[in-house]
Amino acid sequence: MKLLLRRAAILLFFSLLVLVGLVIFTWQYVNNSSTWVQHPANRHLYANGKPINLGTIYDRAGRVLLQMIDGSMSFHGDKTVRTAVMHATGDMHNNVETSAQMAFPDRLSGWNIINGIYRLKSRSGSGSNLTLTLDAELCAAAYEELSGRKGTVGIYNYQTGEILCMVSAPSFDPENPPDIDADPEKYEGVYINRLLSAVYTPGSVFKLVTAAAAIENIENIEEKRFYCDGKLQIGGDLVTCMSAHGEISLSQALASSCNVAFGQLSLELGPEKLQRYAELAGFNSSLEVNGIKTAAGRVELADAKDVELAWAGIGQYTNTANPLNFMAYMGAIANDGLLVNPRILRERRVLSFVNASAGENKQIFSPDTAKKLKALIRESTLSIYGEDTMRGLGLCAKSGTAEVGGGKRPHAWFAGFLDSEEFPFAFVVVIENGGFGSRVAAPVALKVLQAAVNSF
Amino acid sequence: MNIFLENVKQFLEWSITKVPDIFERIGNFFSYFEITIGLYTFVVRWVFPILAITIFLRCILPLLQGRKRASAWGYLMMMDGSRVPLKHWENSIGRSKVSDIVIALPFVSRNHAVLTFRDRAWYITDLGSKGGVKVNGIKIEAPQIVNYGDTISLAGVKMTLLPADEEESGLLQQDDYTATLIPSGRLFNSSAAFALILLFQFLGVIQVMLAMFPEVNLAVTLTFIVFIFAETLHFHIKHWLSRKYLELELLCYFLCGMSLFIVSSAAPDLLYIQLAAILFGMLVYSVLEFMISDLGRTRKLKYLLASTAIILLVLNLAIGETRYGAKLWINLGFITFQPSEFVKIAFVIVGTAALDKLLTTRNMTAFIAFSGICIGALVLMRDFGTVVVFFGTFIVIAFMRSGDLRTIALISSGALIGAMAVIAFMPYIASRFATWRNIWKYANTTGFQQTRTLIAAASGGLLGVGSGNGFLASIAAADTDLVFGILCEEWGLLIAFIVVLIIVFLAVYAVFLTKNCRSSFYAIAACGAASIFLIQTALNVLGTVDILPLTGITMPFVSRGGSSMIASWGLLAFIKSADDRIRPDKAGD
Repeated sequence: MKLLLRRAAILLFFSLLVLVGLVIFTWQYVNNSSTWVQHPANRHLYANGKPINLGTIYDRAGRVLLQMIDGSMSFHGDKTVRTAVMHATGDMHNNVETSAQMAFPDRLSGWNIINGIYRLKSRSGSGSNLTLTLDAELCAAAYEELSGRKGTVGIYNYQTGEILCMVSAPSFDPENPPDIDADPEKYEGVYINRLLSAVYTPGSVFKLVTAAAAIENIENIEEKRFYCDGKLQIGGDLVTCMSAHGEISLSQALASSCNVAFGQLSLELGPEKLQRYAELAGFNSSLEVNGIKTAAGRVELADAKDVELAWAGIGQYTNTANPLNFMAYMGAIANDGLLVNPRILRERRVLSFVNASAGENKQIFSPDTAKKLKALIRESTLSIYGEDTMRGLGLCAKSGTAEVGGGKRPHAWFAGFLDSEEFPFAFVVVIENGGFGSRVAAPVALKVLQAAVNSF
Repeated sequence: MNIFLENVKQFLEWSITKVPDIFERIGNFFSYFEITIGLYTFVVRWVFPILAITIFLRCILPLLQGRKRASAWGYLMMMDGSRVPLKHWENSIGRSKVSDIVIALPFVSRNHAVLTFRDRAWYITDLGSKGGVKVNGIKIEAPQIVNYGDTISLAGVKMTLLPADEEESGLLQQDDYTATLIPSGRLFNSSAAFALILLFQFLGVIQVMLAMFPEVNLAVTLTFIVFIFAETLHFHIKHWLSRKYLELELLCYFLCGMSLFIVSSAAPDLLYIQLAAILFGMLVYSVLEFMISDLGRTRKLKYLLASTAIILLVLNLAIGETRYGAKLWINLGFITFQPSEFVKIAFVIVGTAALDKLLTTRNMTAFIAFSGICIGALVLMRDFGTVVVFFGTFIVIAFMRSGDLRTIALISSGALIGAMAVIAFMPYIASRFATWRNIWKYANTTGFQQTRTLIAAASGGLLGVGSGNGFLASIAAADTDLVFGILCEEWGLLIAFIVVLIIVFLAVYAVFLTKNCRSSFYAIAACGAASIFLIQTALNVLGTVDILPLTGITMPFVSRGGSSMIASWGLLAFIKSADDRIRPDKAGD
């Protein structure tokens, strides 16, 4: 019988293969079941391809942004509000990849791996509720301020990471979707949330990255003086300025957005250092907003010639920036160098505090550097906008006018933060082909900021 | 932890919305009832997996822990005066380490002789040894009877056959049990495990009925009353009559209960047929177990079953009915059955052989021919899933009989070429392979069953949505082919895994039994039967979840289908017969 026992091992081998099959299945189950369950053929969630079981999406004030009533979707009662938050909630046909509907289907259907789709059914309906950090009224105000121009407005709390305002234009009323194809010019990239998924040439706002590198790498930078005669000759090429600024300090250079001074700084720093600070500021990587990946801005200086390096240091060359990433960088400067990852979901999961401190936040440079940089920005902001703009709230901001070529008007940027314990907001505004940042984007930003301050 | 809190939160939310309800509609019986239904499922879906895991462990541990058989069938007195027990009905003697009685002397052949107990007498067979075998000094040519007191000489090594003395035979190794395993005899009480199974099924049937509410289906109630009564009766008769461990039956009661739950969800109208099949299966099991307890009787049964099997297959090809593209059914007017299921029993019994036969001749012509007929017929019936089951089992049995890896490898590669030809020339099979690992691309055509299974499995999570609350059961043929998906969705992944692990356990158990088996007949039969169970389960489960290509094959004991259920119980008799250990509570009898 010992002989047979030995030969019977072939059956053990078969059993082992079956167990291996089960293990592979388990692995796939753990990784993919959240996707499987959302398939339109799932009759727990869909009837004839239409969702029957979807939770309610609220904003931070408890306003209903999206709801499922008797199998049909309904949005907020006000047209401007639902248009302004369309990218956050998603439309009726799941066209917006980064919407809450697409990003958090598990939360909305109440699915988890232990309970599956099972829920103890209560009268108030099925599915789960989801509260966003957004303030719908504020988003509506921001959408109004854009007044039909393409672009984006974002505001977030740099201490808690909560995104308060996230608006992308063009948008549309999700309750009465227009014929998108009829006007491709008007609805260009309408399903893209520009705050999360677009990248633009940054222009002068990038000078805040160059300035950070200069503060940490060039001794006595505060005392250093630059001389600007309106142009900087590098080999046979020219970097030009709006006007000849004469002899100026770093803070004056920032206030007047002097290309010559920042061009010189870039050359002094060299490509490696500038590249490193760009990456610290979040370029060449994306953020995850509750798992929604943002687009990544790009800074690639490895093969840049001197003149290109100078242009890169003032936000041109091949540089691109994602608005949300750049807003988070603004937040980090305000928050003593600590970048608090932006988030869109109000409630934190019980376990997430454990990871929150370790995983989500990143100290990008020392509090000392942050303080110096903050002072620099504050000084230049004061010199341009004066004490009365956002009085008492410590406005620190930089405008940008990003040349895009092709005979088009430049993108207008305005990014910064309030240096305020009560209103720790960082913000970004981009208006596509809007013109001068300080003239076009700044008024929008200031109005929305004022609305934010008033409502909190 | 998080998810647990989530449940508590749900419960609180639910209470908050329900409490006003109760006051609002006070006196309304139905609203109370709806609330009870919701709450019942909420609680039992946590209870079921705990019960199932407990049942599984309580059933498999006693089966794997019992160590040695209690009896020696006789002794060999060696020249040095030592007494070597004959632990099996078939004992190989030789120099080889895997001999049952090892004589490590150079002039003894590796496999020298086999001492066999059959028809109440001992026989010695020379395995073509160089030194030869003598009984009482006379060299034997053919298998020869050895009487007690006779001297056997293997190439000059002498030994005397002695009977098993009465006091020792039954109690010889009792210490093994009592000392190491079951100190009180109460630790693994099969009655307690049985009670847990009854509790599981009782709670389950309430869940099924509540899920159907307000519709009331008497068939469900009645079926379970009869089933619970029948299994209780079967268990108690076995407990009283048999001295063997009963956990094997318990596991199968559990599986049959699951099959009734699945049929209740999917096709309640067919519950009575499934119930009848289970009852008839239990009967077939008991009869077959009795029939094969005697090897002489078994030999006659072998020819009878083999010829019946061939007749059935021929009949099937001649007058069979075609359903779902395969010609598998014979319709007798009042009953329809699947001959290929019953052929499985014949296939296993034809494959068996006693140890002397197995060691003297490597001749498997009869078995190979029979396998060829079966597999050929199945190919003609276009039942390719069952072809794989038969072929896999053929490999197991053939390897156990010959021990020849090279031949097995040769046969397998031949089969592989054949299989590739089949895939290439049969568009229906080729499309299955094209779908394999691409099911989402063909989600509404050839990947329909697999994608629905995965969607349903994901919907169930680990605990399931509650029996009767799933959607997969309403898909055509889900209760035969997609039972794993139904289990995952309605009962949760944990219970679905336990069901599969029970079948895997049967295979491991069959191998475990081989060591102390009386006769190689039982060992091979047990492994053959277990491999049929195992391969069917693998094809069914792994096919529907897209680890293997999909084959429409039933899962033993669980899928709906009368023929399959009866054949499963029949095959179980082979595994049962290989275990002749005695339960602690019967050891003193």
